[in-house]
Amino acid sequence: MPNVDLLRMTISELAPKIQNKEISPVELTEAALAEADRLQPTLNSFITILHDQAMEQARESEGALSRGDYRGPLHGIPIGLKDNLATGGITTTVGSKVLANHVPEEDAEVVVRCRNAGAIFIGKENLEEFAAGATSNNPHYGAVHNPWGVDHIPGGSSGGGGANVAAGVTFASLGTDLGGSVRLPGTFCGVVGLKQSYGRVSQRGLMVTSFNGDHIGPMTRSVADSALMLQALAGNDPLDPSTVPVPVPDYSSYLGKGLKGLKMGVPSNHFFDMLDIEVETAVRGSIAALEELGAELQEVSLPAMEYIGAMRISAMADGVVTHEPFLKNHREAYGPDVLYRTIPGQFVLGKDYSKSLKVQRLIQEEYLQVMQRVDFLITPTAPVSAPRIDASYININGEDHRVRGPGSGFISRNTSPLNAVGLPAISVPCGVNRAGLPIGVQFITGPFEEGLLFQVADSYEKASPSQGLRPAISVGV
Amino acid sequence: MSIPNETLKAMIRDYNGLELSDEELELVRPELETYFSELTKLESLDLSDTLSGRLMQLPERS
Repeated sequence: MPNVDLLRMTISELAPKIQNKEISPVELTEAALAEADRLQPTLNSFITILHDQAMEQARESEGALSRGDYRGPLHGIPIGLKDNLATGGITTTVGSKVLANHVPEEDAEVVVRCRNAGAIFIGKENLEEFAAGATSNNPHYGAVHNPWGVDHIPGGSSGGGGANVAAGVTFASLGTDLGGSVRLPGTFCGVVGLKQSYGRVSQRGLMVTSFNGDHIGPMTRSVADSALMLQALAGNDPLDPSTVPVPVPDYSSYLGKGLKGLKMGVPSNHFFDMLDIEVETAVRGSIAALEELGAELQEVSLPAMEYIGAMRISAMADGVVTHEPFLKNHREAYGPDVLYRTIPGQFVLGKDYSKSLKVQRLIQEEYLQVMQRVDFLITPTAPVSAPRIDASYININGEDHRVRGPGSGFISRNTSPLNAVGLPAISVPCGVNRAGLPIGVQFITGPFEEGLLFQVADSYEKASPSQGLRPAISVGV
Repeated sequence: MSIPNETLKAMIRDYNGLELSDEELELVRPELETYFSELTKLESLDLSDTLSGRLMQLPERS
């Protein structure tokens, strides 16, 4: 099989062929590295490409197969790692100049789990500086370009991963999501982005992170692959107190179950209030498609969402506390967007921080009540398709919204609420706009109901108008 | 709501904060305006009955 055809497959399609030794992990990794090198000047999706380490892993992987030591569906699969996930002995910059030469001693827990599952790490992927923004326009390592339109952002902060999965360089990439940083590259790059329940996956080894609401999640080419990735990542980590010791089900067993009898909640406020018209049309089309598939539509109201902006108050305070040690000694090494979005956190008063946490609780309770009445919620993932890299503002209904830096946050208005409440959410492609840029739909379920989330997303994916579409820049093109 | 630069500078000085020049104070204004506008929205919200709790709970049906 030609290398290009191999690289366009999904993990679910490849895994049995690797297990049966029809496909060699060494040849697959060589092909992925060759495309990574070829597309790097166009996409700038990596900070470090791990040529030697990946090939060493691939040879070990092939050796294990020949001994009959098959480790599961990720065995021999080339994946990418966002460069804020600690990798022992490998530079981990967090997209910053401050940590440009930082080499962690240990792997992040998710890296350990992927390694144990047999995955091969192709490289450390480019991101927003300190993962603090939605554009992946990095002032130190350059902007990541969207394979569907290279003048457009891939979303962020996990933009390198989104671009690589869409272009076919990696079969999956691990990103991190504090306000939508996995789901936004998912929607802008036309791939599947998952933020599972808070507590489902260890955050240990996620560097320079917030005290409240960060998640590590996969970007993949299909919902089935997302289920395979979460299977490897999920589970209690005794060394991470944020993880919850609850059983991990067989996620793939939920695929193909259909939607008959499931109640689909469509929020009547917030999520559809400020949208690009093409995004709204595509997501309304998704709702109609889900009804056709058997889901029962029920409008739901989330009145406390009026106060969701208060979560920015606690995020400001958390941000400055996280960065204070670096800001005191390396302030000159910061880019302006992150610097001037972070420093204002020092002016947040304690009483306002406390109010923000109470609002978070209020909104959580409201979501949990709504999730007693419906099985899942559906929303647009982002209010727009990918903005241009050089855009400072986007205009919706005559109003300008900042894309980056101080006062920004519009792009993540539909994703960040789920970080506040901790519920699982997944972005699935639901078509493209007239410019050929992808649009994503977001599904949300109750806490620790990722199985149901995959059931819904998988059913929709098969009916999505995105099926069969590929970006202009991809492997072999 | 808007806070004068002199007040912000006094906060930095008295609370051992991160220094900002007059020019930089203008650069952080958009973020501060977000903070103040969100506070204004909270003025009419009664949070006195909001109970603390675990971040996540398992649904009853599982």
